[in-house]
Amino acid sequence: MRASLMGVLLVVCGLAAQGNAFAQSVGAETPLNAWLLRVHQASRHSVYTGTFVVSSSAGMASARIWHVCDGTQQLERVESLSGVPRAIFRHNDQVVTFFPQSKLAVAEVRESLGLFPDLLKSSDSSIGDYYQLKTLGNERIAGFESEVFLLQPKDMMRFGYRVWSEKKTGLIIQLQTLDLKGKVLEQSAFSELQLGAVVNVAKLTRSGNTDGYRVVRPDLQKTTADAQGWTLQKPVDGFKPMGCYQRPPVVPPQGGQGSAQNTMQWVFSDGVATVSLFAEAFDGRRHAREGSAATGGATHTLMRRLDNWWVTVVGEVPFETLSAFALALERKK
Amino acid sequence: MAKGSEGLHMEKMNLVPNERVCDLADGRLPDAECVQAFDALLSDQQAMQTWHAYHVIGDVLRSSELAPSGGDLAFLERLERRLADEPARPVVAQSVREPVNANLHSANASVFRWKMLSGLAGIALIGVVGLSLWTQTSRQGDAQIAMPGNVVPPAPTTVVAADTAVGPMLRDQRLDELMAAHRQLGGHSALQVPAGFLRNATYEGAAR
Repeated sequence: MRASLMGVLLVVCGLAAQGNAFAQSVGAETPLNAWLLRVHQASRHSVYTGTFVVSSSAGMASARIWHVCDGTQQLERVESLSGVPRAIFRHNDQVVTFFPQSKLAVAEVRESLGLFPDLLKSSDSSIGDYYQLKTLGNERIAGFESEVFLLQPKDMMRFGYRVWSEKKTGLIIQLQTLDLKGKVLEQSAFSELQLGAVVNVAKLTRSGNTDGYRVVRPDLQKTTADAQGWTLQKPVDGFKPMGCYQRPPVVPPQGGQGSAQNTMQWVFSDGVATVSLFAEAFDGRRHAREGSAATGGATHTLMRRLDNWWVTVVGEVPFETLSAFALALERKK
Repeated sequence: MAKGSEGLHMEKMNLVPNERVCDLADGRLPDAECVQAFDALLSDQQAMQTWHAYHVIGDVLRSSELAPSGGDLAFLERLERRLADEPARPVVAQSVREPVNANLHSANASVFRWKMLSGLAGIALIGVVGLSLWTQTSRQGDAQIAMPGNVVPPAPTTVVAADTAVGPMLRDQRLDELMAAHRQLGGHSALQVPAGFLRNATYEGAAR
């Protein structure tokens, strides 16, 4: 934690500075990348508090958000208002989830949070090959004038997004995931937002204190699909591998007979949508239902048996894309 | 429905006495007689009207807002006739490359606006509870945290199962766990901050 951030008790973020940051960072990027950079930078340079609501046909979940930053250091607290009581404390890519009822704190590193905006600035970014940006107009959301954009997929392998971006800063205040026919699958939005709010940083920092909690770290190991014996016989359009991890088996081997297999999680992204490919040893008692399952939101799932393995594909993409992943996954000989 | 509409056109009248319709409507007939009574009811146009009238009377007694509009059955009959006469419209196959609708709003967008509004009242109430939780947590000490130093060695499981409003829809605990794992590591999106992370964080308790 940087001393400069810690030393400041009350921070009011100057919104004018954000415009400069954008002007400096976008450079000669394509319009889509420039826009993605702008909305990304907005979140890195804004101080805000608000209530965030995620809704879909599966239901509604909401959380209270406190967010402060000084450009390089991000400090955030997300407190659930629905479901299991929990509070998520984030310092850059380090995330601790507190469960006050069980006095359990799960500490983990979210590497994905550090990927952008470097990926957008690099020539490796191919988001523009699969999405195009359209301007839809202006609308007032959560008390703020916002510009509405459509991030439209160029093929049928991914969903579209309608994005409400606060006019002055570019901060995303509402996001809708659209299916292939333009129907809203899920909406994430600030129902109430205070941009440039006064946030007590010392108090926010103290809320990440794990005293009195049992701290656990997910038993997650980095690996490669190759090392796990898996390959994709054919890449899925636009999706690049982002990382591969192994998780311990759900059911340990009984009586010490044999060795249970780990679950592999292979993560892919097209820069906007993410797909996780899980492979674990087939177990007839637990793995009975092949096919797709509805979750009611933007996340879709597909399960398939592959010889002695059970493959589960999860992602915010159409079923056809999940199916393409499931069919392309191959056990190396 | 089909059987009912056939019944409306039957010529047999007054097969079912009003008292029997009344008993049927009030649930006073023994189970064994119900099937037979319903068959008779569906064959008797006047009995059907009596049946409808009894229900309307019951509705009005419960609430004046349920007061009937006249000629419900006649309307239903006319509607069914018109629907039957409606020419079948050819189904046009959608282009595979059809782009996503670029309108400002989707047909179902209003559903999401109402959902959000309906949640606000609850949020206001829960916010009070949240505030007290926030206060309690912040009182627990002044030590700074970059990341905890008092970390226990790896936990035996990566996700702790718990119920939420989202989880039960799947009715598959393992799938819930894998979805949580996906949210945990699957945030590789240019829209990740703040929307993606907040979305996942808001949903995250699903399988913890």
